[in-house]
Amino acid sequence: MTVRIVLVDDHRMFRSGVRTELANEDSIEVLGEAGDVVEAVDLVHTQRPDVVLLDVHLPGGTVRPGGREVLQRCADLLAAEPPVRFLALSVSDAAEDVIAVIRAGARGYVTKSILGPELAAAIRRVADGDAVFSPRLAGFVLDAFGAGAGEVASVDDELDRLSQREREVMRLIARGYAYKEAARELFISVKTVETHVSAVLRKLQLSNRHELTRWAADRRLL
Amino acid sequence: MLGGVCAGLAKHLDSSVKEIRILMLIGGALGGFGVIVYVWLWALAPVAGGAPASGAAVAGGGLPAGGGMPAGGGMPAGSGAPVGGFPPSVPAQVRGVGPGREVPTAGTAPNSGLPAGAATVAGATVGSVAEPTVDSMAGGKVRRRPLSTDLMIGAALLLGGLYLLTLRLGWLVRPDVVLPLVVVAVGAVVAYTQLDEVERTRWAERAGVGGTRMAALRVVGGAGLVVVGILLLVVGATGDVAQMGRTLVAALSVLGGAGMVLAPWGIRLWRDLDTERAERVREAERADIAAHLHDSALQTLALIQRRSADPAEVSRLARAQERDLRGWLYGGPTAEATTVATAVPCIAADVEDLHGAVVEVVTVGDRPIDERTGALLAALREAVTNAARHGGGSVQVYVECGPSGVEAFVRDRGPGFDPDAVPSDRLGVRESIVARMERHGGTARVVSVPGDGTEVRLTVPDESGRAGAGRPG
Repeated sequence: MTVRIVLVDDHRMFRSGVRTELANEDSIEVLGEAGDVVEAVDLVHTQRPDVVLLDVHLPGGTVRPGGREVLQRCADLLAAEPPVRFLALSVSDAAEDVIAVIRAGARGYVTKSILGPELAAAIRRVADGDAVFSPRLAGFVLDAFGAGAGEVASVDDELDRLSQREREVMRLIARGYAYKEAARELFISVKTVETHVSAVLRKLQLSNRHELTRWAADRRLL
Repeated sequence: MLGGVCAGLAKHLDSSVKEIRILMLIGGALGGFGVIVYVWLWALAPVAGGAPASGAAVAGGGLPAGGGMPAGGGMPAGSGAPVGGFPPSVPAQVRGVGPGREVPTAGTAPNSGLPAGAATVAGATVGSVAEPTVDSMAGGKVRRRPLSTDLMIGAALLLGGLYLLTLRLGWLVRPDVVLPLVVVAVGAVVAYTQLDEVERTRWAERAGVGGTRMAALRVVGGAGLVVVGILLLVVGATGDVAQMGRTLVAALSVLGGAGMVLAPWGIRLWRDLDTERAERVREAERADIAAHLHDSALQTLALIQRRSADPAEVSRLARAQERDLRGWLYGGPTAEATTVATAVPCIAADVEDLHGAVVEVVTVGDRPIDERTGALLAALREAVTNAARHGGGSVQVYVECGPSGVEAFVRDRGPGFDPDAVPSDRLGVRESIVARMERHGGTARVVSVPGDGTEVRLTVPDESGRAGAGRPG
């Protein structure tokens, strides 16, 4: 199955670079490109791609960062059937940028230093409905949920803490393990790793843990 | 004496308390000179600092501890009334020393002719202040009293002392002139100190923090005092109250009219000042940014153009510049690293500069650097260097400071090697990583799969033997 994607980034050089790198991937088709918030919202609505590769910082619009506004104005498509899924891509791995787009609905976050094949894998993963975490995002999650300090959820679906297994998976991702390697390390299947990561993403989006809400309130994201 | 002034002075001058006290008493007997010195010292000398634990030291050196006492010691008023007025308001610990020492002094003082009124006023003012101060000292907390209060009381007492002095020297002092002047002065001081505070709290106010009604009240009160003082002066001079009223109305109308005319202009001026200030701040910021970009990005770009033939060097330069800009924009590693989480990015940066690799750092939690974590960081540096040198490409560093200790992982995507096949004369991994960690009660493991990269895992337990995890050293 071919994954149809749209590139949203304000740097034309970067867009063409990504296009070139993805040209080798047969299973990924680039439908179009957009350079600012308004263009992006229009393009996504007309093309209805499977995945939007979304830059966090975009010109235009009123909300900062611009990527968050695109997500907000495409909220109808996030829940549509089939849904449009967003993978955030940015040079900045500052926590506020990451969390702003994740909590607005992005399914994953990678930095722009990612190499072509890894980017293609991340796009396919998001297209399948799974989550993509960069090592730094995993580290942020461990910090924000108190997992580094040893807090562990007693029930799996507790929103404000990670379960033991989720913590292990996050730690491996923070250590630079790919999902496949993490699965091997924990003696579980890749699918199970993906399930854990998706569960963590859901917690990150929905949790009211004070580290996250205080952070969001400080930036008027609530 | 009771204010602790003598004790403090003695400490400062390295002489005995007794000597200072005697000198003070002599000074006090000689026309009130000692009084003035004492009062000024008491008002201006800093409260003794010292750790909260050293309560005794504080009690000994804390000057205002017996705030009320200088009046008693200094005022050789001889009349029992002001001195007797203190004890109820002075906590026991001070009182225990107080009267026993001071009452005889008062009795022997030669100035029995001094008016008791001034002393009483001064004493009452100070006495009322004394209690909370002493209480806070007794509570083991050292607190700096607001300077303005100190100054106020000091000034009041000084005036009292001066008044006594003039009386003793036989100068003619006319209360009907002096009193209004004092009122004017007090009013002005109150208003001005408040204005200063208003200026300071303006930012807080803009940020939405509570108002400064009290400050405004005090400014108005101060201004009122000034007006009353002037009125008293004028009435004292002319003695005509009716004419005074008319003059007052005329003066107020003139002031009001002038205010109406000048207010818009004043507001305009104020706004202009405001915009100008904002403009200047913006300008300074822009200059800062320009300077930073010039020193960093432009320089690096120039270097890159000159070295374009050397790809490794170009990529090293670009990476170093990226790190620098990132740190500047998002607050990256700082100059002095005193904790694990700040030290790790510095290590990564050093290795990147030396070996041209890309080192990604993720840290969770933090703790200060001590002997153990220092050893871990040294081993980590070695491991990152190895990974950058042999691994090729990017290195992923993950450091987690948890309740049970610190764990560090260094992963590279290089060709990998068989750790057991490394010849024993190669000391790198064995000595500087494994042995170092074991010496400090930690562990080091090297996991390497040929073709699948290498991971070095370092751990140090939290300082064992100590109960309670995560206690900073």
